[in-house]
Amino acid sequence: MKNQLRVFRAQRGWSQADLAEKLEVSRQSVNAIETGKFDPSLPLAFKLARLFETTIEQLFSDEQ
Amino acid sequence: MNCTPMNAAVRRYTYRFFVAMTLYCVFLFIAVWMFRHGHPSGILAYILAILPAIPIVASIAVVGIYLGEEKDEFIRNLFIQAAVWAIGATLAVTSVWGFLELFLPVPHLDLYLVFPMFWAFVGVCSALVRMRYR
Repeated sequence: MKNQLRVFRAQRGWSQADLAEKLEVSRQSVNAIETGKFDPSLPLAFKLARLFETTIEQLFSDEQ
Repeated sequence: MNCTPMNAAVRRYTYRFFVAMTLYCVFLFIAVWMFRHGHPSGILAYILAILPAIPIVASIAVVGIYLGEEKDEFIRNLFIQAAVWAIGATLAVTSVWGFLELFLPVPHLDLYLVFPMFWAFVGVCSALVRMRYR
């Protein structure tokens, strides 16, 4: 699943480790989600959207 | 080298697993010593024989508890993937070996070796699964 995580993260100047700490997950998790290799669960997707003050649709796209 | 600190669930899992494996060593020593020197019989013999298996069963429960406690869904997913592949590999190897034993004069595989075999496969499969996400 494509996502804009890297863009939103860069806008805030956060590293993957910073985002991982805020989400209470590992840095590998953030990297796997960001690179589209792992699709987060709905609760984690909502958590991400809340953190970036946006919507899940703005963060994730189901385009192949 | 990219080192990641262990999260609380992994720390608890590591501690519980270490306790289970320590008990396994102690119970195995007791069982072996008793059967060599004590010559137990009756119900005591049965209890001593299954004594080393108790921490093994407990370690399976430790894995279950860990999966329930692990909050990082990606890490949990990696562990489950590795465990499923390891179950498949263990079943494949033991099934193939079982038929080899049935029809050919190959060495006997003791069933108590299946558990360490499974964990060896978990180790290999964990490394392979993690490679997919690099």
